[in-house]
Amino acid sequence: MVLKKSNPQILIFTTNIISDPGVCSAGLMHLSYPAQTTMIKVPCSSMIRPEWILLALESGFDGVFVAADGTDCPYLTDCTDKTARRVKEAQELLSDRGIEPERVKMAAICSVCGEAFVRLVNDFYSRLMELGPIKVKTHEK
Amino acid sequence: MERSDKIRIGVYVCHCGGNISDVVNVKRVVDEVRKEKGVVVAKDFMFMCSEAGQKLIENDIRSGKVNAVVVASCSPRLHEATFRAAIARAGGNSYMYYHVDVREECSWVHENDKEEATNKAIRQVRAAIAYLRHAEPLSRIRVNCERSVLVIGGGIAGLRTALDLAESGLTVYLVERTPFLGGNAAKIGNVKVFPYEKTAIDVVRELIERLRKMSNVAIYTNAEVENVSGYVGNFDVTIKVNPRYFRGKPNGREVEELRKICPRKARDEFSYEVSERTAIMFPPFNGTYPEIPAIDMALCDKCGLCTKMSDKIDLSQEPQIVHLKVGAIVVATGFKPYKPEKSEYGYGLPGVITLQELVGIINRYGDVVINGRRPRSIAFIYCVGSRQRRVDGKKANEYCSRYCCIAALDVAVAIKEFLKDVKIYHVVRDVRSYGINELLFEEASKQGQVIIKYDVDEGEPQVTYINGKPIVKVKDVLTEHMELELPVDLVVLVTGMEPSDGTVNIAEKLKISRGTDGFLQEVHPKLRPVETMLSGIFIAGTAQAPRGVGETLASASAAAAKVMSLVLKGYTELEPFVAFVDQDSCRGSGLCVSECPYGAIVIKEYAGSKKAWVNEVLCKGCGACVAVCPSGAVQLRGLRNVQIEDMIRAAGGAHD
Amino acid sequence: MRSNISQKILEMAELIQGSFEYDVVVIGGGIAGMEASLDLAEMGFKVLLVEREPTIGGKMFLLSKVFPTLDCASCISTPKMAAVAHHPNIDLWTYSEVTRIDVKGKGDFEITVLRKPRFVNEELCTGCGTCEEVCPVVLPKEYDYGLRGRKAAYIPFDTAVPKKAVIDIDNCIFCGQCERECPAGAIDFTQKPTIYKIKAHAIIITTGYRLFPAERKEQYGYGKIPNVITAMQMERLLSPTRPFNSVLRPSDGKEPSSIGYVLCVGSRDKTVGNPRCSQVCCMYSIKQAQLILGALPLADVTIYCMDIRAYGKGFEEFYQKAKAMGVKFVRGRVAKIEELPSGNVRVVYEDIDDGKVNSAEHDLVVLSVGLLPSNDSIISIIHGAKIAVDDLGFIRVDPSAPTQTNIEGIFAAGCATGPKDIPDTILEAASAAARCAAYLKSLKQERMIPVEVVSNGKK
Repeated sequence: MVLKKSNPQILIFTTNIISDPGVCSAGLMHLSYPAQTTMIKVPCSSMIRPEWILLALESGFDGVFVAADGTDCPYLTDCTDKTARRVKEAQELLSDRGIEPERVKMAAICSVCGEAFVRLVNDFYSRLMELGPIKVKTHEK
Repeated sequence: MERSDKIRIGVYVCHCGGNISDVVNVKRVVDEVRKEKGVVVAKDFMFMCSEAGQKLIENDIRSGKVNAVVVASCSPRLHEATFRAAIARAGGNSYMYYHVDVREECSWVHENDKEEATNKAIRQVRAAIAYLRHAEPLSRIRVNCERSVLVIGGGIAGLRTALDLAESGLTVYLVERTPFLGGNAAKIGNVKVFPYEKTAIDVVRELIERLRKMSNVAIYTNAEVENVSGYVGNFDVTIKVNPRYFRGKPNGREVEELRKICPRKARDEFSYEVSERTAIMFPPFNGTYPEIPAIDMALCDKCGLCTKMSDKIDLSQEPQIVHLKVGAIVVATGFKPYKPEKSEYGYGLPGVITLQELVGIINRYGDVVINGRRPRSIAFIYCVGSRQRRVDGKKANEYCSRYCCIAALDVAVAIKEFLKDVKIYHVVRDVRSYGINELLFEEASKQGQVIIKYDVDEGEPQVTYINGKPIVKVKDVLTEHMELELPVDLVVLVTGMEPSDGTVNIAEKLKISRGTDGFLQEVHPKLRPVETMLSGIFIAGTAQAPRGVGETLASASAAAAKVMSLVLKGYTELEPFVAFVDQDSCRGSGLCVSECPYGAIVIKEYAGSKKAWVNEVLCKGCGACVAVCPSGAVQLRGLRNVQIEDMIRAAGGAHD
Repeated sequence: MRSNISQKILEMAELIQGSFEYDVVVIGGGIAGMEASLDLAEMGFKVLLVEREPTIGGKMFLLSKVFPTLDCASCISTPKMAAVAHHPNIDLWTYSEVTRIDVKGKGDFEITVLRKPRFVNEELCTGCGTCEEVCPVVLPKEYDYGLRGRKAAYIPFDTAVPKKAVIDIDNCIFCGQCERECPAGAIDFTQKPTIYKIKAHAIIITTGYRLFPAERKEQYGYGKIPNVITAMQMERLLSPTRPFNSVLRPSDGKEPSSIGYVLCVGSRDKTVGNPRCSQVCCMYSIKQAQLILGALPLADVTIYCMDIRAYGKGFEEFYQKAKAMGVKFVRGRVAKIEELPSGNVRVVYEDIDDGKVNSAEHDLVVLSVGLLPSNDSIISIIHGAKIAVDDLGFIRVDPSAPTQTNIEGIFAAGCATGPKDIPDTILEAASAAARCAAYLKSLKQERMIPVEVVSNGKK
C-alpha cells in the first residue's frame, strides 16, 4: 500500500468514559482537525500494550496519539503513571528499531477537553509532517 | 474462537438526516466495505436509530443473513444501547456488535475535507469489521441489586428525590454535610417566589416532615461521604458522621442561655452572612431536622462555658463511621452563589450588597434596612458572575445562571409593594423573565420600576463612591446610549450560581465529570439529563445546572424515576467486558495481580501449576492487567488482543 | 375536504365488551408522553398510551435540529418511539382519541377511547407505501404546513411509529386502486371505529402545544403576504425530511439571501391575549438562523427582538456562537410588515438603538410564533371533577408540586402545563412518572421495611 508522502496518518487511542467523550465534544463544537486520524477505543489508557503502538507504526500509521484518562480515570488512581509506563516501553521498542520515539504522544484528554484535543492533534500532525513518512514498514503492497 | 467464515457481518451506515451524509459520501463507504471479507450485507439509511432503521437490522438477523453488526452513525453514547437492544430483540447476540462514530468524530470535524472524511469513515468501518471477525457471543452478568439508594445533599432537590424514592418502597439514606437539612432553598425564607403558592421554605418544611415519618429513610446530618467503591447495584459507601457534641435536645431555658454564652463569633451561613452566629449552631428555622444544635468545632476554643450551662453538651464525642450498601447514588449537592471579587462593581463598600445578602436582610430583620435606614433608591445590577467574557484564558462563567433575572424582579416587586416610594432601577443586559415570569416584569413596569439596558460591548456599568454613597454609571441603550449617572442608596448585585464546594468535592471523589461550566456533566443533555457516565450514579438539581426552585423539583423527581427504573427490579445486569485468563498460555508470573487495584485477579493452584484467575464480579474491565501480561494470557472479553491488533492492521491499510 | 363521511362513520362506533384495565393511561404521544410511558413501563407498571394522530412523535418529530446541541430532532425522538412500540408493558393506540374521562373515586378512572378506523388492517400492513404511490388524490400535507402534498392513502413519515398506512376517508374518491395494488391485502374499507371503556388508576396528560395562529397578528400580514412564513414552516424547510432540497421562498421559489426573524409573535403581547413569554422562541430562532447560514452561506439573517432569553444549559454559549457566525440582532419591536412589488418584504420597526422608526427589506420574513395549549378536547371531557386550568388554558400545576393537577391521580407534563423546551419537558415527564408511581404505590399500600435512623448521639 503506497501512502502519500504529505499525509501522515495518526492512530488515536481513546477511552470509553473519559477521552472519547472529550474527542466527541470537539465534534459537538464543530471544531476542525485533520481527517488523517483513526480512533480505536479502549476502556482505560492503561490497557494499551506497548507492542500495539509498534504494530500501528508498522501497519501504515506515522504517529500514535494516546488520549489518556489522566486524573479523571474512573478505574485507577495511578492511571497516568501506568499509561506513561506503557508509552515509555513503547518508545524503547521504537528506538530499538530506529523509529523516532516522538512518533508516539500521550496527553490526558478530559471528557470536555475538545479544544485542547484539537490543538494537540493539529500540533502533532504538523510535527509528523516535518518528520516525514515513517521509514520502517512491514506491510507494503 | 470463531473462524472468520462463520461470522456474517452486516454493515449499516447512517445519513443522520444529513448530519453525516452532507460530509461523508455514505454510498461510497457502503460500496467499499461491501468488498470486505465476512461482510454479507452493506446498507445505508436516513435514520438508523428510527424504528425503520432498527428493523433493517432486525430483519437481516431474523432471516439468518447476518449474525454480527456494524452501525456507523453518531456517538455511541446516544445509540449503542439502542442497537444492542434491536439485535437482542431479533434473537441475535448484542455483543456481536461494534459501533462506529462517523458524526462527532468524523463528519462534524472534517466538514472542509469531504474526500478524506469519507476515507476515514471507510477506515473506521474496516477496523470494526476486523474486530467482528473474531467476535464471540457474550452474556450480561446478572447481579443482585440492593433495593436502597444513597442521596447526597439535604437541600430541596435531595429532599424531593429522597421522598419520591422512599414512597416507592426503597430504603433511602440521605446524607447532608451541614448540621441541618434545608440547603439554599430554605435560605430564601419568607420571601415569596412567584408564582408558587407556597414559599420555598414551606416546601422544604413539608418535605422534611414527610420524610421524618417514613420508616424506610435514614437521615445523616453533619455527615460526609468518605468513600464509595463497588459498582452499580452494589455500591459500598462509607459515611463519616461528625459529632454534634450534644447528647440530646436542650430545653427552652437552656437554649436561651446557650445563645448568649458562647464568646466565639462567625458569619451565619444561613442568613447569607448578613448576621452573626456563635460556635453553637442552632436549628436555623422551624421545621428543620434535627432539632438538636451542633457545635462548630473549627470555631470553638473549648473554653467550656457552655458545658457549665448545660449537661446536654459533651465535648468528648467522636465521629462515627457508618458503612452502607446501596444500589444507586443520587448527587444533589447544589450550588453556591457567586461571590463578587472585592471592588467588583464596588463590592465590599457599604451600600453594595449581593441579592442573597438582600434576601438575608429581609428575612433577618423583616425589613429592608441598610446602615440603619431604609433606602430611598435601589439599583440592581444584573449578570454579576454570569455571561462573563473569557479574558486572557482566565476562568470565566460564560453561562447564564437562569434564575437571577426572575429572582431579582421578584424581590424588587415585593420591596416596591412594601416601601411604596422607593425608586428602583434594573441595570440589565437582557431581561430573562421567561415563561410565566414575564408577568413579573410587567408588574415591575407597572410599578414604575426603571429598566436600563446596557450593551456589554460598550462597557460594563461602573460603581463609584462619592460622599459615602454609591453611584452607578451606565450607557443606556434604551435612551440612545446616553451615559447615565445614578446616585442610589443601595446597589444590589444580582449574582449567579456556581457549583457548590460540596459539588466540586463529590465530583472528584466519585469521578463524575464536570462540564466546561463547572457543573456536573450529564450523559446527554437532551436524551439523558439526569444520568452520568458512571452506571448507577445520577444527578439532580442545581449541581447539574443553574435553575429555579420549581425546575429543581422536577429534576429531582426525574432522577428518582430513573433510579426506580434501575433498582426496583432487585437485580441489574453488568456488561460482560471483564478480564479472563487463557489458562494454557498463563505462566503464573503474577504481574497482573500487582497491577489490579481491585483484587479482582489472584493466583491459584491448578493441577500443580500456578495460574491467574479473575473474579468477574470484582473486575471493572479497565484492562490494566492486559497491558502487563508477558504472555498475553489475560485479555478482555469483548476486546481481545487479536481484535485490537486486527483493528490496527485494518485501519492502517493492511488487508488480509 | 370532499365530504364529511368520517363524522357519520364515527357515529357508528361499536362498543367493545370486556374488561380493560391499566395502571396508567397517558394521553398524548409526543416526547413528554413517550418519556413518561417508558419510565413507568420500566418500573413495571402497565401503561396505555393514546395518540390521536396516526403516528406518535408529536411536534418534536417535525423539527429539524434541536438547540443547543444541534442533534437532529428525529435522532432523539425516533429511538424513544421505537422503544415505546416494543416495550412489553406499553400498549400503544394510535389514531385513537380519549372522548370521556369519568373520575369515579380514589385511583378509579373510567376512560372512554374511540379508535378511529385507518381502513387498513394494521396486522397485515407492512408499510411498503404502494397504496400511497397509486392513490390519485393529492392534498396539502398537514405535517408540512402546506408546503408539500400527500395522498388520501398515506404513511405520515418514513420513520413513523407505527409505520402503517391510513386512509383519509373524507378525501377518498373510492377508486379502489389501493385495495387492488396492496401486496398484503391490507386495505379494508369495511373497518369500523370502536369504543373501549378503560379502567385505570392514574392518568397523565401530555397533550403538548399548538402554535399561535400568526394570522391573528394582522399587521404582520401572514396569510396575505406569501413570503411571510411561520417558524414551523421554516423548521420543515430545514428538516431532513424536508419538502425541497434547499430553503426556498413561497412566492417564486427563489433562495432567499436576506431573511428577517420577528420574535415574540403572539407572546409578550396583550393585544392578542397572551402577555406571557413562550420561553423557547428566542432559542429556536437562533437555532434556525445558524442552520440557515449553514444551508445558505451567503445569506444574511437579522433577528428583531426585545430581549434574547438564552437561559438554559449551553444556551448563552449558543447565542454567542450565532453572533460570531454573523447573525444580526436588532433591538426593536416590529410594528408592521408590508409586501413589495418584487415579492420582497419590508419590516417596519422601532429601532431601540437609535430611537427612530426604521424599515428594512428582506427576501423572506419568518414569524417566531409562541406556544399555546392544546388541551381543549381533554378539559371539556372530564366528568366528576373539574380540572384547573390557568387563564391561557394551560393545565394548572403548582411549581412547588410539579406535575400534580388539582385532581388526585391526574398528572400533567410537558407543554400541556406551559411552554418549555425539550430538556425541561423530559425532566417534567420523568418527574410525572415518579409522582405517579408513588401514587400508584400508595393505592396498593404495601408495607415498608423499617430502618434505624441515626444521628450522632441518638439512635
